[in-house]
Amino acid sequence: MQVSPKIAILGAALLVAASLTGCAGGGGNNSNSDNGSSAGPASASSGSSGEAAGSKQPITLTMLAQRSGQNGPYKDMLVFQEYEKKTNIHVEWTDVPASGFAEKKNLVFASNELPDAFFKAGITPTEAIKYGTSGMLMPLEDLIAKDAPNISKLFEQYPEVLKALTAPDGHIYALSDIVTLDNARIGLKPWINRQWLQKLGLKEPTTTDELLNVLRAFRDNDPNGNGQKDEIPILAADLGSLVGGISGSFGLQNQMGYHINVDDEGKVKVWLADDRYKQMLMYLHQLYQEKLLDNEIISQDQPTWLSKLNSGKVGMFYIQEGAAFEKLKDQYIGTIPVKGPNGDQMVGSVAPIARSFGAFAISSVNKYPDETMKWLDYFYGDEGSIFFRFGVEGKTYHIGDDGLPYFNDDILNDPRGAGNAEGQITPYPGGGSPEWINDKNSSGINSPEGIAATERLQPYLPKKVYAAPLLDASSNDRLDNLRRDIDTYADESQAKFIVGNLSFDKWDEYVNTLKKMHLDEVEQIYQQAFDKLYK
Amino acid sequence: MRYAKRTETAVARSSGSALWRRMSTRYDLYLMLLLPTAYYLIFQYAPMYGMQIAFKNFIAAKGIGGSPWVGLDQFTQFFDSYYFWRLIRNTLSISVFSLIFAFPVPILLALLINEIGSSRFKRWVQNVTYIPHFISLVVVVGMLGIFLDGDHGFVNQLLKEAGLPAVSFLQSPGWFKPILILSNIWQTMGFSSIIYIAALSGIDPAQYEAAMIDGASRLQRVRHVSLPGILPTMTILFILEIGHLMNVGFEKILLMQNQLNMESSDVIATFVYRVGIQQAQYSYTAAVGLFNAVINFILLIAVNWAARRRGGASLW
Repeated sequence: MQVSPKIAILGAALLVAASLTGCAGGGGNNSNSDNGSSAGPASASSGSSGEAAGSKQPITLTMLAQRSGQNGPYKDMLVFQEYEKKTNIHVEWTDVPASGFAEKKNLVFASNELPDAFFKAGITPTEAIKYGTSGMLMPLEDLIAKDAPNISKLFEQYPEVLKALTAPDGHIYALSDIVTLDNARIGLKPWINRQWLQKLGLKEPTTTDELLNVLRAFRDNDPNGNGQKDEIPILAADLGSLVGGISGSFGLQNQMGYHINVDDEGKVKVWLADDRYKQMLMYLHQLYQEKLLDNEIISQDQPTWLSKLNSGKVGMFYIQEGAAFEKLKDQYIGTIPVKGPNGDQMVGSVAPIARSFGAFAISSVNKYPDETMKWLDYFYGDEGSIFFRFGVEGKTYHIGDDGLPYFNDDILNDPRGAGNAEGQITPYPGGGSPEWINDKNSSGINSPEGIAATERLQPYLPKKVYAAPLLDASSNDRLDNLRRDIDTYADESQAKFIVGNLSFDKWDEYVNTLKKMHLDEVEQIYQQAFDKLYK
Repeated sequence: MRYAKRTETAVARSSGSALWRRMSTRYDLYLMLLLPTAYYLIFQYAPMYGMQIAFKNFIAAKGIGGSPWVGLDQFTQFFDSYYFWRLIRNTLSISVFSLIFAFPVPILLALLINEIGSSRFKRWVQNVTYIPHFISLVVVVGMLGIFLDGDHGFVNQLLKEAGLPAVSFLQSPGWFKPILILSNIWQTMGFSSIIYIAALSGIDPAQYEAAMIDGASRLQRVRHVSLPGILPTMTILFILEIGHLMNVGFEKILLMQNQLNMESSDVIATFVYRVGIQQAQYSYTAAVGLFNAVINFILLIAVNWAARRRGGASLW
């Protein structure tokens, strides 16, 4: 029962990553990440960038916010309650569960009944242009320069973020989070069951053929030793995350938030009709047919997938962090991408530093744009980002021996799971909040296993990661129209090819149909955007 | 009820003063009419104002009235779309098959129930057949998912026992429509038969007695007394059904839809939901929806016209 909207592969990958970030948080005992400073960042930082900017007069702002599965009601979150005391700004939240959020957001825009601001709103580049140029969203660049020292500083440090957020007309209509922690930008790390490998006397696979053999051995040789053939050699939440995880082995990247490779000369290639994509689909079809790939991949929902992940019956999967399989984390090790038939070996899906576009936006009806921007900026600072993610020192977190903040044990050991417990205090679990994620404020999602896995993936990362571009209004409209049919068709065909409902004899027909749908024009639009932004 | 109301207004329309006289003498009836009329005006007619966005490029900031006109652009876009014929084919075939297979079932059921002698058994059968109507749609689709699962569902277990290959029913386009329509029949036949049972009980028992005296068999009584007795009801329901021809059961289809059966499960309604509500392309989907409504309207007029010409019951 797939009711979910069609989303691009990277989008799906990010969602998975995001949902995992939310479940994270359990693994915060001793992190190896270095931090020389003797005092904790929270107590050390001071000065303009550390102060929560307030208002003398009490102000009320209305905000529309997305509530992830892990989040409690926003109005009860400790972070916002404390922040209201600091700033004298009261926020009236309309927090809508993630499953219905996109519709609510659309309706708010369509009826022109706007809140003062959008929080954790996942406003897409298309929406930002559409509603920005029609005057429903306020341009933010001047406000940022005036009221947001922390964000300005990060823009200077990471100019690619500023590029990714600036529309062709020079305005910034929506902000993203800023993720400078590598670990959090690789949302689909490959993990393999090292206990099973050991038991069966196998080595970590390094090529697609070796991977095939290892998975077959997982399937046939009862590595979990219960006498039943119940192993799931490779598990994925959905096709998007499977394809995003393995595409690097076939030389396919997910640049610009779409199915795009960019070569060294800056040539943009949408690879949906590419032979390498066909090769990958054939490989995945083989995995599916031999039942090496979990055959419920099309129909399962998120909770089913999560329970399988923690069932001890899984050989391999792609996710961001070890915390999602906390109880079994000794079993798995972060592995490297396998080398494909053409010698490609890389991580196909890496998120840009501006990871979640549209995390925050101010609408044109907002009467206090300066105060709103100041209110937000705090979360992008050293002190504020820790406050945002951890709450109040002593009450919800403490500074560990390494000088990093850790949640208190009562939260980590909460019977609802650490991610859910954290989600009652702060909105960050689930991902997509307007915030700065760095190595000093992320003990929850930066476990030693995750760091080790990231370390091993370093040599295979793409040289550059390009964020989804913001287009001018007319290209934006055109792309929207073109992708409406193309994405539906490509997603559907992908599923059919992998499952085998569509034979590869029909490949040419598939390619021709894409041509008829003007795939080349899509490529052109992205190429033009690329040339404007990055050349 | 319905036509009574309509004839009354029709007669009343003939002359102004006569209308006024009628209204003042039967003011209580007209007061009762007020609420439903208000309902139709507010919830059915007033929103038609927004239909103009089908001919516009709707920009929320400018509102419905202020958005620029684009003529038939949205319609041509839809007619040129790769999915146009697929949507039409699926929508039409699901509704036509439903009409052919699902429409007669409640009639047959009503005739059967009517023939049952023991009233306790009759009530029992009626209850059993209409209970599925009260199961929530989400639950019904969930049950389908469990029963028809490719590996563990009991249907496939049975097939395997019988030495037949397993079928992943919900993931194959070929099975989508049969499953949808059969489960629809299961869900609705009991409840839909109530109206026919009511119509049957309105037939004068003297007619049955007369037929029996004339030596008519059971089947002959059904054919010559029961069926003609409920024919007007059947016709009216049939015309109403035609009016909804293009409105296939949206929620259920959406719930049963997945990437693999889209080829036969994507209908106009789910397309409008996906593109309009989820992707916020309001003008485009307003055009698609309007197109759908126009087809419904034309069909309704045509069938009603045909029914009237044949001299049977009709809506107007």
